[in-house]
Amino acid sequence: MTGKGTDRRRRSSGGDLVTRGGAATIVAPAAAVVAVFLVFPALWTLYLGLTNRGLTGINAANPQFVGLENYTTALSDPALWNSLQVTFIFVSGSAIVGQAVLGFTLAWVFRNWQSWVRRALELLVVVAWIVPSSVVAFLWVAFLDGESGTLNAILGIETEWLLRHPLLSVIVFNTWRGTAFSMLLFGAALNSLPPSYLETSRLAGASPLQQLFDIILPSIKGYIITNLLLISLWTFNDFSPYLITGGGPAGATEVLPIYIYNESIRFGELGFGSAISAIMLVINLLIALSYLRAGRSRS
Amino acid sequence: MRDFVVRVAFIGFSAFVGAFFALPMLWLVFAPFDSTPTLAAQIPEFTLENFSDLLSNASALRSLGNSLILVAGVVGVVLLVGAPASYVLSRIKFPGRDVFLYMLLLMSSVITGAAAMVPLFLLTFELGLNDRFPGVILVLAGGMLPASIFILKDFTDTTPRSYEESARVFGATTLQTLRDVVVPVIRPGLAVISVWTAVNVWSNFLIPFILLRSPSKSPAAVLMYSFYTEGGQPNLRLIAAFSLLYTVPILLLYGYVNRKYGFRFHGGLKS
Amino acid sequence: MAGIEISEITKIFPGEVTALSELDLSIEDGEFFALLGPSGCGKTTLLRTIAGLEPATSGSLDIGDRDVTSLPPGDRNVAMVFQDYALYPHMTVRDNIAYPLKVQKVGREARYGEAEKAGSSLSLDGLMDRRPGQLSGGQQQRVAVARAVACRPDVFLFDEPLSNLDAQLRLEARGFLKQLQKDLGTTTVYVTHDQGEALALADRMAVMDHGVIRQVGTPTELFHRPANVFVAGFIGSTPMNLIPGVLGDGNVRFDGGVLPLNGRGDTGGEVFYGIRPEYITIGDVGDISGTVAITENLGAQFLVTVDVAGQLIRAVVAEGSEPATGDTATVNPDPDRVLVYDRESGELTPGAGYH
Ligand SMILES: Nc1ncnc2c1ncn2[C@@H]1O[C@H](COP(=O)(O)OP(=O)(O)O)[C@@H](O)[C@H]1O
Ligand SMILES: [Mg+2]
Repeated sequence: MTGKGTDRRRRSSGGDLVTRGGAATIVAPAAAVVAVFLVFPALWTLYLGLTNRGLTGINAANPQFVGLENYTTALSDPALWNSLQVTFIFVSGSAIVGQAVLGFTLAWVFRNWQSWVRRALELLVVVAWIVPSSVVAFLWVAFLDGESGTLNAILGIETEWLLRHPLLSVIVFNTWRGTAFSMLLFGAALNSLPPSYLETSRLAGASPLQQLFDIILPSIKGYIITNLLLISLWTFNDFSPYLITGGGPAGATEVLPIYIYNESIRFGELGFGSAISAIMLVINLLIALSYLRAGRSRS
Repeated sequence: MRDFVVRVAFIGFSAFVGAFFALPMLWLVFAPFDSTPTLAAQIPEFTLENFSDLLSNASALRSLGNSLILVAGVVGVVLLVGAPASYVLSRIKFPGRDVFLYMLLLMSSVITGAAAMVPLFLLTFELGLNDRFPGVILVLAGGMLPASIFILKDFTDTTPRSYEESARVFGATTLQTLRDVVVPVIRPGLAVISVWTAVNVWSNFLIPFILLRSPSKSPAAVLMYSFYTEGGQPNLRLIAAFSLLYTVPILLLYGYVNRKYGFRFHGGLKS
Repeated sequence: MAGIEISEITKIFPGEVTALSELDLSIEDGEFFALLGPSGCGKTTLLRTIAGLEPATSGSLDIGDRDVTSLPPGDRNVAMVFQDYALYPHMTVRDNIAYPLKVQKVGREARYGEAEKAGSSLSLDGLMDRRPGQLSGGQQQRVAVARAVACRPDVFLFDEPLSNLDAQLRLEARGFLKQLQKDLGTTTVYVTHDQGEALALADRMAVMDHGVIRQVGTPTELFHRPANVFVAGFIGSTPMNLIPGVLGDGNVRFDGGVLPLNGRGDTGGEVFYGIRPEYITIGDVGDISGTVAITENLGAQFLVTVDVAGQLIRAVVAEGSEPATGDTATVNPDPDRVLVYDRESGELTPGAGYH
């Protein structure tokens, strides 16, 4: 029987549309794109960080292996230490204090408010989150402008915010920009609590603040950790301060992504920039792993 | 008395939130329609001339076209290679599949454009893709595929296998089953990842900023940036109209998905 | 039209889960055959193997006079109604019913005509343009059946089609399924874990356990003469009493006394004395007496549980004649209805009981 071979193939697939061999063929293209354009670059960075690869000139054509030299240079570069410090303040100020606290406050304060005002406020917060970064960056450049910005017009002063308080400005900007995620996540978390939780404690005579600290926060602890880790990761990798201040003045807002951009793409020190990138990848990995761990212990 | 204090605090807080989030945005609402916009938000002397000027600005229009090309390219790649992969990953079990998916997702959140800009820059250069759209498209697709596959696989997991099985029993071929049953059933999932991908690509600044050198290839995100940073007096009429035109598609897409499918969290991804 | 011959079918899932174990079964042309068994015993697997959705690990399967063991599902000319109905959410009722015909390349007019007819025979007129999401559970179930009917298969396969309906609808649906099958005369394999459903619907039925068939027969045969204690315990709305005892001379002795038996001379074996609660009367006179532990209202009847020397014995009595809890009562089995099972093997021993 000539059909025997095909019969067996068809038979082995049973109710499935594809066989395992077919499955591998179908997954392969996606896996290839991810491997070449996501995974390989990360591994390559680790290698590049050990060379003196340059953007132009002899080090571009013929880079040398320099071992850990980039790392020792980096550690003695005050600009790197400045950048790490700026990054730390930026992440803790705008993500943890700004977005998470404001986001939770919004979700908590508005939780029982059924009104178009609430929906309008939430829409505003969400729109701030989804407008493209180069547009919101310009909106804030205009808003904070010393001579004719809206903020100064309201306050009746002429402060050059981006020169006098650059880091504070980008922190407030990023809080404005990213609060929506925390608000929505905490909103969903509060919604998922059974109403009986609160009713029980209300019956026991607990004040709203007692309810918050004794009941609500402990029961959404998982969401809080998830949220903090995610927004820290995103803020740590955020390039948008560059769109407002370019990292200046004098490095005051030079967060790590901007530092890497300046060192490698602007000044052409690709090897050195790769070493910093490698450090950044490791930090990202640590945050992501703690996220997975938190997720696992929650479920 | 205490109720009164609480009430005043509540109203004060709401007003503060409203002002904080609305004030920086006002400019985007007023300035595009103002014949003499300044940096301050002000009630406009109404005109639509800014838009007619914009429509005769070749580089502005071209940048929107470039953005569209990038969006079409990345959405195309994600749908073409990502959707079949996620379907298969949902339906065929193999040892370590879930670990594989989590590894993918982990890598896509760890390996960000900011952390990998140097190797991405060099890689496109080595592949002859520097300053070319395919380079940007593949790099963006590489970053977005894991999450897209994850979302779509989740979605496919919730659609019963019996749909495909019953079609098999009726004698439908693989192609018929895919066309008549599978694709229509997972269409909402396809729509969600398409919109999610489109919104992210349309807004992305860093990757095209690094990988595309020719100004004529700049997408809107990059052109917008050069409008207000590159020398001379910025043309506020142009910037205002352009900002709005560039932003509106995002708002529409967001509104569409939100209305049709509601807001959902997929393992903490923006959607 | 076609019967089904299953010989030595074995199905082993990855991970060494044996779902079917060298199973033999033959289902006759045109009969309504029920597969009954507890959850996880392999009913669905057997049905899916008949459909071709699960390739058998070994063994062979014939439908009609064709060996279909290695044919893909679509070439077997069977129709399956899934437990979740598998109605396509994006198609109207009409398109759902017509879909199998579309696959078979039946023209548009003809297939919509067939769909209309099948829909009509299941009282779906007026619902043909709706989507499955807009239908009630009972209506969805009828659409799924109509879709199976429309493609005129050799065999219908049903996987617990009524389990998602509430009790009232289930009774109704049971009636029309039986009628429909009678009208069409199509061989039908019907999977259920509900013994009442199997007894009510089937021409013949099989009881499965752990991938093997424990007994095949008509509902009457299985109800009256369960071949082993597994089937005895599974069939009947109140399970059969299985009282452990020792065979005496024409009776069975246990701690509470001597249980009567007809037509048995052998002695000495350790057995279960099997008697359905329906065949026990409760009274004031008799050899075996105990305390009434529980009485449960079944409507027109009462289920009475009597504690006889620590052994609980259940009897079904007519409404109004039930004793009060705590009363002393005697238990009187009908000796003609007694079945004796070997205690070690659990198998029915020949000789006694209802024939
Ligand atoms: N796809 C599968 N993979 C592994 N084991 C399975 C699979 N399908 C069913 N089984 C196992 O086979 C046995 C029989 O399952 P099934 O036929 O669904 O039982 P039933 O329908 O009688 O409840 C069960 O132990 C079940 O866990
Ligand atoms: Mg089952």
